[in-house]
Amino acid sequence: MGIRNRRGMGRYIDQRISSTFKIQITSMVDMFVILLVFLLKSYSTSPVQITASDQLTLPASTSTKDPVDVLKLVVSKSGIFVDEKKIVELKDGVLAVEDVDANDTQFIRALYTELDEQAKKTRVIASQNSELEFDGKVVMQAERTLPYDVLRKVMYTSMMAGYADVKIAVMLKD
Amino acid sequence: MRALKTRLDDSTFELNLAPMLDIIVAIIPMLLLSVVFVEITVIDTPIPQAVEKAVAAANEKNKDVVQVRMGVAADKSVNITITDRGATKEYSVASVKAADGATQADLDGLHGQVMAIKKEYPDVFRMELNPSDSIPLNEIVGVMDAVRTTRAVDGKQVKVSFTDSTTGKPIETNLLFPDIVFGNVAGG
Repeated sequence: MGIRNRRGMGRYIDQRISSTFKIQITSMVDMFVILLVFLLKSYSTSPVQITASDQLTLPASTSTKDPVDVLKLVVSKSGIFVDEKKIVELKDGVLAVEDVDANDTQFIRALYTELDEQAKKTRVIASQNSELEFDGKVVMQAERTLPYDVLRKVMYTSMMAGYADVKIAVMLKD
Repeated sequence: MRALKTRLDDSTFELNLAPMLDIIVAIIPMLLLSVVFVEITVIDTPIPQAVEKAVAAANEKNKDVVQVRMGVAADKSVNITITDRGATKEYSVASVKAADGATQADLDGLHGQVMAIKKEYPDVFRMELNPSDSIPLNEIVGVMDAVRTTRAVDGKQVKVSFTDSTTGKPIETNLLFPDIVFGNVAGG
């Protein structure tokens, strides 16, 4: 009788439903691995970053040259920026007459002042650090619809400030 | 019977994926912060190191001998002027109508014309670009793309060859006129 009872209790212990359970995470890990591969493919350490805006769309090109970490000059429909600091206001891509020098119609005085200051800073750093040198490189991110007239003024002014090696940032065409 | 069941249970096991999940959850936010959907490049001269010296030497040799100038007119037509030892040659590529009716530069026609010029002047790599004031940047970039490198035909990149003036050896490259300078920036 006693033996029969123990067998019955043992069977009960074996068959009872456990109060704890395991979460099935295999499918979740599958999903994360796919996501991880996609994100690794899109990973970028490019020094040129653009903020999405309706005022700035870069032109598409087949050029595959990697951008360099130099001074950034942004020319959007709303203004001209040097390292994200707004220097000159543009109204729908048009430069105001007062922003252009009266004696030299290609010269933008405010932009020159800022770029000249940046060039002086870089030269001072280069004089203290032998690993750095002022090479006059600037990456220009410009709105694709802007006419050459505006860009020519910007390039001319940057050339006058010592930034003669202008590199045009573009989106890689598929 | 019970011993057999125990052996069968031991032969299967469940992989513990929790630590792997921890790592992935830590990596994903970091990658999300640095993800880019638009790849930014710059227009420059993508010259391989071996070819670079030969191109620089060819440019130096032809600096005062052959000059290639390209103008983009307000009506999007492209004019190429070559000054070869005092003699001048002119080529013109008319603009075309796009599907939406807008006038645009004939980039295919321009590329064909530049390929023909390159056969005549294989060791000239510098081109002076003079766009009109009204030409938008995307059209200028399109013109630069058309003259900078050869295109792929049937999936294979077309190559042009020139002789390295320093070694006398022939060099094959996909570069046409990679050294483009804006000629009219400084008051042209």
